[in-house]
Amino acid sequence: MTTAAAPSTVTASAPPGYPAAAWRAFLLQLALYRHIWHGTLFSSVLLPILYMVSIGIGVGSYIDPAATGGITYAEFIAPGLVCSVAVMMLGNDMVYPVFGGYEEWGGTYLAQRATPLRPVDILNGHLIYAVGFRPLTACTVVAVVLAFFGVYTSPWAPLAVAASAFVSIAIAPWLFAWCSSLKNDAMLNSVFRFAIMPITLFSGVFFPAEQMPGFLQPLVWASPLWHGTELARAATADVAPALPPAAHLAYLVALAVGGWFVAKRVIARRLSF
Amino acid sequence: MPVENEILVRARDLRKRYGDNEAVRGVDFEIQRGEAFGFLGANGAGKSTTMRMIGCVSEPSGGELEVFGLDPHTDGPAIRARLGVVPQDNTLDNMLTVFENLTVYAGYFGIKRKAAKAKAAELLEFVQLTPRSGDKVNDLSGGMRRRLAIARSLINAPDLVILDEPTTGLDPQARHLVWERLFQLKQEGVSILLTTHYMDEAEQLCDRLVVMDEGRIIAAGSPRELIDTYVTKEVVELRFAGRHTTELAEVALGLSGIGAQIEPLPDRVLIYTDDADDTTAAIDARGIRPTSVLDRRATLEDVFLRLTGRALVEEEA
Repeated sequence: MTTAAAPSTVTASAPPGYPAAAWRAFLLQLALYRHIWHGTLFSSVLLPILYMVSIGIGVGSYIDPAATGGITYAEFIAPGLVCSVAVMMLGNDMVYPVFGGYEEWGGTYLAQRATPLRPVDILNGHLIYAVGFRPLTACTVVAVVLAFFGVYTSPWAPLAVAASAFVSIAIAPWLFAWCSSLKNDAMLNSVFRFAIMPITLFSGVFFPAEQMPGFLQPLVWASPLWHGTELARAATADVAPALPPAAHLAYLVALAVGGWFVAKRVIARRLSF
Repeated sequence: MPVENEILVRARDLRKRYGDNEAVRGVDFEIQRGEAFGFLGANGAGKSTTMRMIGCVSEPSGGELEVFGLDPHTDGPAIRARLGVVPQDNTLDNMLTVFENLTVYAGYFGIKRKAAKAKAAELLEFVQLTPRSGDKVNDLSGGMRRRLAIARSLINAPDLVILDEPTTGLDPQARHLVWERLFQLKQEGVSILLTTHYMDEAEQLCDRLVVMDEGRIIAAGSPRELIDTYVTKEVVELRFAGRHTTELAEVALGLSGIGAQIEPLPDRVLIYTDDADDTTAAIDARGIRPTSVLDRRATLEDVFLRLTGRALVEEEA
């Protein structure tokens, strides 16, 4: 029989408080990111630049600034692009990884559930990554790169990144809850078809939202990306937002809080057997 | 400091219900520090459900459960901090390396990075995976993944290691390697709780076990005690080429009166006896000519068969 030294003793600390536990869960996502960061460069950096070159500058050369509130088309779409990167990142981080956390493709949430972490800690850990780390890093990179196109006319432009973070915070818990409640991976595409894609296209990123038909206006107002883009555009181009900034922020925060409670309930149910 | 005869897990009339289905129907047991305790039973017997309740991921529907003297309902995180869990499907992270699977998991327990790395290296040595340390989990065989899951369960030096079907789906060589590691842990005084439907596994590893059937405990004791209590010392197995279920039942009728009990199975007839030589002579005297005759010691498989009337092997399909 082969022998090996039996394991020695290490001391595990006492059950953690909620912030510490969320941080522990977040470290898994960070470890995973080290393996996939290069694969996200296209969607997080190159794609927005391609949008800017092809649509912002190419298509923009045919658009009269009067149609976009007196700013160039490139200046018009830049803040929306920064915010839409946050939505793209959520598509990467909150759809397949959340669904796969439960049983198929590894079941990382199941592994975490067998440790001192509670379901809410697992949720919070994933949210820290998806709404804190990822958008802030990716959106910051995109915002900096777009600066080289000379599309910012206000010194408050860095706040566009903060607006993108609020977009992320508002959407992420709902995506988490949705993907946590799916039992069949065939349904995952519906998240892209009915959430990510419409939000990206119809939130006033590429054209003024008031150009949309009247019956679609409520969808625009409901879109977190529209609220974030309005805030970001106010920051980068000094354009007055559709609502007072506090109202846009309040809407995004309300969505975030509501979504968090729903997600907390869903994950608790999924991880109780 | 560990206390001798300390009760790690105590269950009284423990129940779990899913809708109309009662998966666990009032079980009582105690698990002491330092022992290897097994839940033996067919699929659907309630073993894994009971384990999940002990692992504080499933809320009991009734009865009482204490783990380390704590209440799983209110002290789940504190209990899980002292458990090591090897789930049936491993739940390893395929995108991480073997080493990262251990260090990241250590982080969940609040183990500092430096200590986690040292412990991970030590555990990989223990489960003989050091050369695969930098490989992704996807590149490992089933047996290696199982050993990695066992290593992961030890990262927090748990007071109790829970293993759900630790060798299901492994080839014989991989099974023996897993048994070897578990046996070594047991010798080191690590408390082990396992479920299995492999009788040889239960006999090899368990100091004490309970046999579960349809959510109830139908027998409890050490493997030897169970064999002594429920079956005879020896078993004579008769096979008849080309004859199956119904025909073998007829053969069994023709054998009545021989041995202590006769059990016709789909592929063979078992005769429980205290003297195999006398039994084979009696069969011969009746003019019954089996294709093959095997006399052997009684095992836990025979105990299960005697108690439930079913073979575990049939349940696996």
